[in-house]
Amino acid sequence: MTYRSDNHVALENDGPRLDIVEKVTGKARFTTDYYLPQMLWAAYIICDYGDAHVRKSNIGAARAVKGVLEVQIDKQDGQYHGDRLGHICAESRQALERGLAALDLKFRIRNPKTRLEDERTPRDKLTPAQNDAEAQKALKESALAAEAEFQTQVQTHVALEPHGCVVDYRGDSAVAYGSTQSNIAFRNDLARELKLRQDQVEFHCEYVGGGFGAKFGCDSEGVLAAKLSKKYSRPCRVIRTRKQEHLDTGNRPGSIQYMRIGLSRDGKMRGGKIATWGSVGPTGGGQASAGGGGGGGVRNPSRYNFGAIAKVHEDVSLNGGYPRAMRAPGNPQAMFAIELMMDHLAEKAGKDPLEFRLLNETSDIRREMLKVGAELIGWSHRKPNGTTHGPIKRGLGVGVADWGNGRGNATIGINVYRDGTVEVLSGAQDIGTGYRTMIGDVVRTHLGLPRELLVVKVGRSDYPEGPASGGSMTSRATAPKGFMAADLAREGIRRLVAKEWGIQKVDDIALENGVFKAGGKSMDWAKACRLMMRDRLSFSSAEDGQYWKTPTGSEAVQFADVSVDTETGIIRVNKVVALQNVGLPVNRNTIENQICGAVIQGLSFCLFEDRILNRQTGAMVNPNMDMYKIAGPVDVPEIVPIIWREDRDVGVNSLGEPPVIPTPGAIATAVANAIGTQVRSMPLTPDKVLAAIASVGPAARKAKAP
Amino acid sequence: MQRDNGSKPDGVSRRQFLQGAGGAAAGSMLLGLSQSSHGEQPATGVTARSGVRQYAASGSVVTLQINGSPAQLTITPETTLLQALRELLNLTGAKEVCDRGACGACTVLLDGRSVNSCMMLAIDAVGHKVTTIEGLAKDGKLDPVQRAFVDHDACQCGYCIPGFVVRSRALLNETPAAKSDTIRHGLSGNICRCAAYQRIFAAVEAAAKGGLK
Repeated sequence: MTYRSDNHVALENDGPRLDIVEKVTGKARFTTDYYLPQMLWAAYIICDYGDAHVRKSNIGAARAVKGVLEVQIDKQDGQYHGDRLGHICAESRQALERGLAALDLKFRIRNPKTRLEDERTPRDKLTPAQNDAEAQKALKESALAAEAEFQTQVQTHVALEPHGCVVDYRGDSAVAYGSTQSNIAFRNDLARELKLRQDQVEFHCEYVGGGFGAKFGCDSEGVLAAKLSKKYSRPCRVIRTRKQEHLDTGNRPGSIQYMRIGLSRDGKMRGGKIATWGSVGPTGGGQASAGGGGGGGVRNPSRYNFGAIAKVHEDVSLNGGYPRAMRAPGNPQAMFAIELMMDHLAEKAGKDPLEFRLLNETSDIRREMLKVGAELIGWSHRKPNGTTHGPIKRGLGVGVADWGNGRGNATIGINVYRDGTVEVLSGAQDIGTGYRTMIGDVVRTHLGLPRELLVVKVGRSDYPEGPASGGSMTSRATAPKGFMAADLAREGIRRLVAKEWGIQKVDDIALENGVFKAGGKSMDWAKACRLMMRDRLSFSSAEDGQYWKTPTGSEAVQFADVSVDTETGIIRVNKVVALQNVGLPVNRNTIENQICGAVIQGLSFCLFEDRILNRQTGAMVNPNMDMYKIAGPVDVPEIVPIIWREDRDVGVNSLGEPPVIPTPGAIATAVANAIGTQVRSMPLTPDKVLAAIASVGPAARKAKAP
Repeated sequence: MQRDNGSKPDGVSRRQFLQGAGGAAAGSMLLGLSQSSHGEQPATGVTARSGVRQYAASGSVVTLQINGSPAQLTITPETTLLQALRELLNLTGAKEVCDRGACGACTVLLDGRSVNSCMMLAIDAVGHKVTTIEGLAKDGKLDPVQRAFVDHDACQCGYCIPGFVVRSRALLNETPAAKSDTIRHGLSGNICRCAAYQRIFAAVEAAAKGGLK
């Protein structure tokens, strides 16, 4: 066994996150918590329908509302519900709300495109892939082949802190607060909007209420706040409402995925054809809001060895909000289809789904993880599909993933003060992942100091450069620099001790548990720091040095155990075993917490979440948190997070994204195992489950009989 | 999302207030309200048993009891308790997330019971004791629920956590020895998008086991 179920990890950090006290006492200040004196309130005026023309508006009445400073309509045509038509600015929140009500927009609705299945180009009309002939040949040579089509819905990010920005323009400088995954990009965008130099904008995002891929750059909120703050020389606040969050701040695009795969007689995949369609905004992908990104792409095929695949993809424009990167963009939806296809093929080949995966797996590490996970979930007791006795059917399923681990730019700064305080500075932001804690624990454990001596400050643009928190980049880009900077700090203080003790070679002095030792002498860290006849010593590193180590593939394997009530169609996930390779694990709490959270997000995507557009009007019918269902406390299964290996010879690797990828596939295959047929369309709602059961039930069999 | 075991504060909620303009539905709602408040003492002299109070649309001065101290503020009748706390009193721990009682991020205590402050008018809090997340710690010492959240790292981004902590406190006020199932159902009005649920459940269970002082 290469894992330890107690998860005591290489660096043996079990402490809670460093900012937990601020978070449980309400002291942590997020962007939305800044209400500045003389602050203006502004908001976008949005299109209420999918494809509509403003037929009537009462701008005069809106402008006449007491406290409303300006109302401006820039365009009369909206192409999606939430499309920004103009803006309103007021002295107070109430004036803003009253002004919007007085505006009373009336629309003429055209014919919105709302359904991916209706708008896509049929498969036989798509331009074939260049290697189509090769795939055709592979299929021809296969002993058997199977095909299926899968569909996934649009998911919105629903970060609890909405997109938003508060800008305080002061002539030759500005102070701004923004909820972002990249404070550097946000600061740069604001500097551009305000026509200031980079250094003239002091940007804060010490606390960020979740991003999940939708918060890079200053976005439309920052653009508006900057413009109005500059115009009126007053602070301006632009915070999206929950409704606008669903409509206009990005989403995980919906997909349709067709797969036809051939197998050789021994059960190995030979190749085949894959066609995918992804939903994008009315004018294409990647235009969620200024600075956004993300198309409709689906990462299918991936992970398994499919053989020669001819793949075609089409981005399909709908009159809905634009897609944007969302936690492992393109991946969970792909693995939903792929894992169901793997099970479908395994059944054709007469093989156990796990055995079939081991046969076609591309990664040795994951092969090992599959075996361990199977043992932990009790795979050997898995029953043949749909054979549990009684109305509540049990099933087991499996899903896999991985993630890349490239290098990234960052600088970590350390100030050691004369009183012994070690201050770690980083311009990267903690979006809830525990970055503040991770970098603090890297420095602290490397120096061998107690947590009390440590202060970690992150999330300001004037701190040393940090990477954008996207692509699971933050930890792997910063950790090596943290080790390097800690080495420099140790060296600096050791020199003071060497001089005091009259020792020539600093290497002869050891630092253990906060105490310097050499030749029978000892001195604690705080005392050693008092030897510096100055305020502080500053160190920093922008280099990885010896601490860039061979990365892992951040491999992930998950097994799900579900119950399905065949009378109501309701799925209950009982347990998920989630194995995750994170390279060098730094803090057990933040890692396990993040794995479990990803599993629940994956579950929520698989079973509940769905952006529903009205087919006549193109309006989203559930832009809120009561009708847009997200997994809550009662939906949470037992989760067993396993941190794969404790290995000091690898680097600190990606964690944020990989564990959200396998969950939908693991749950969907478990459901199929339970009820004896696959539900190939997400979310797996009770109506679809019942329809799937009915399609293979006695009545359906009778209808099919000649 | 009614969390107060049926004993609603007197007066009208924001949503009912907003819907109140609309005829028959409002009539039946107000009837239901007067039934549910049967036997309750009026909270203040301002509130007559008839339920009729008058506040100027342009704003009036009211006094709220927040975290043990009186706070005087000028508010318009449609101001929610959440807006009053955040925007006028700078108590920003409670968060505005869904703005319609679906996520629990705005939870505060009203006389020891939890309410969604986004769904309550500030004027309806007059005469009641409001406790926010900022008022839970006493004499620089964390409330046992907060302590348990710290010990279990019960949080990720932290935006929902003030709501979870306050709701957990109310839950344990109601059911001091709450067990796993009670805790899950008791917290079901709160949403954590990062989904730090395992840790949150563990923290509340530990707080319940440790006894609350």
